[in-house]
Amino acid sequence: MHATIQKPIDEILGYFKPRERVFVVGCDNCAAKCRSGGIPETEQMAKRLKERGVDIIGWCVPQPKGISLCKLSNTAKVLQEEYGEQTKQADSFLVLACGQGFHTVMDATDGGMVHPGCDTIFGGETVNDNFITEYCSLCGECIVEYTGGLCPVTLCAKSLLNGPCGGAKDGKCEVDRTRDCGWQLIYDRLKALGRLDEMYEYRMPKNNSRWPLPSVKERQLSDLSLATARLPVTPRLGEFQARSRTKDEQAKTNT
Amino acid sequence: MSKLRQILESGQFVVTGEIGPPKGVDLDKCLHDAEMLRNYVTAINVTDLQSAVLRIGSMAVSARLIERGLEPIYQLTCRDRNRLALQSDLLSAWALGIENVLCLTGDHPILGDHAEAKPVYDLDSVQLLKAASSLNQGYDMAGHELESVPSFFLGAVVTPGAEPPEPQVIKMKKKIKAGARFFQTQAIYEPEKFEPFMSQVSGFKVPVIAGIVILKGAAMAKFMNANVAGINVPESIIQEMEETKKEDRKKKSVEITARIIRQVKPLCQGVHIMPLGWDELVPEIISEAELG
Repeated sequence: MHATIQKPIDEILGYFKPRERVFVVGCDNCAAKCRSGGIPETEQMAKRLKERGVDIIGWCVPQPKGISLCKLSNTAKVLQEEYGEQTKQADSFLVLACGQGFHTVMDATDGGMVHPGCDTIFGGETVNDNFITEYCSLCGECIVEYTGGLCPVTLCAKSLLNGPCGGAKDGKCEVDRTRDCGWQLIYDRLKALGRLDEMYEYRMPKNNSRWPLPSVKERQLSDLSLATARLPVTPRLGEFQARSRTKDEQAKTNT
Repeated sequence: MSKLRQILESGQFVVTGEIGPPKGVDLDKCLHDAEMLRNYVTAINVTDLQSAVLRIGSMAVSARLIERGLEPIYQLTCRDRNRLALQSDLLSAWALGIENVLCLTGDHPILGDHAEAKPVYDLDSVQLLKAASSLNQGYDMAGHELESVPSFFLGAVVTPGAEPPEPQVIKMKKKIKAGARFFQTQAIYEPEKFEPFMSQVSGFKVPVIAGIVILKGAAMAKFMNANVAGINVPESIIQEMEETKKEDRKKKSVEITARIIRQVKPLCQGVHIMPLGWDELVPEIISEAELG
């Protein structure tokens, strides 16, 4: 799930030109769970903006219940058909959802003017109705096999891969003494699992060329496994070999 | 070959010092601090934006020390540079005559005066040591051959007072495997706790230089106990400081520091004195600790 937080109303008010007609859109999945763009929050936002003089011509949270705004076919159907009368009159859309939902509205309205009503903070586990916890940074090179299932890229303030820095005090991180040191958690868990030997292994630096921006992640879902197979896969374990790769080796890893 | 390397590799006891580059471009004060250490230390650490506060860089100050015939230990952190910049800075450092490099993770930017800065950490300290070792072998991290090759003497840090100590010991092993040839430690105030740590790591056969921070007063001790990881100034020392009159405080400071040095000396292969501005006390400390 994508965790979002509503932007301050004053920032949102600053988006609109005089007499701009605005339609407000929420999301019934993640933003609803985050209470940043579900039905009550979207209705409330429309009301608050109206009270402040914004020309709100309608609002909706695409249904069926619990559906994600980022499902384009559904969002397009809802905005263009169910709410077609209102959305046709809109100069712009205010989206109370994550960055993906935001872009989905852009696509669903054939390139309409869209304003972000939320900041997207992280992808997380929905622990319960009141807690969403971040365990994965979507980095594209998962190493949790070697860290007891806990991700140091996400749980360590410095994303260190080879163990803790010297900054932890009483198991708490140097950037915030109320938060756990990620490496303390990893150490405790590896120890409990009887897998502490993993911590002695050298971990290579991240391969930032593996999933570069902007285009590699733009794939058809059916092509994703194929796409992965085609990308050069760098071994992530073992010792870093300090030597030149021959042209043959380079060619081999690129095919 | 650097003097630090010669002394450590010959198994002798070493004394190192430390200076902090200023926030600005006038190096007079910091070079004066270094001058105070001239006859008492083998090499001088030059910190790299210590506490994540913007200052002049450690490479420039290290180069100025070399011009004056002083030997720097160039501190290089992973906080602000990606792997291209780290490797390039290492090559630049060598071109300026820098041989000793201390590889560190670096305090998080959020603790410094540019809290909004992007924390880089493209490499961690173990990976940085590995990259520097690779340069020593004539290759960059990508495996490409260098046209000419440096020969850095690489060091790392360890926090003996960390609780629990095991993750620090594991990482220390990894640092050695990655190329660390000496260690400098976080400040030691409890030699009786340093002893079991040293007995755990003495088998690694890599010189450990004990960190010694000159204690300026009880308030500083309490602050470090509350805020600095791995430092614990015992109550007895705090009391000693509290019972000392203000005008006698520097004398007391010399006494305590020299006593700690005498206690840790048999356990390790050197002391790293961090004067934090009280550089004028170093000669007296050295003589009272019978290091001279």
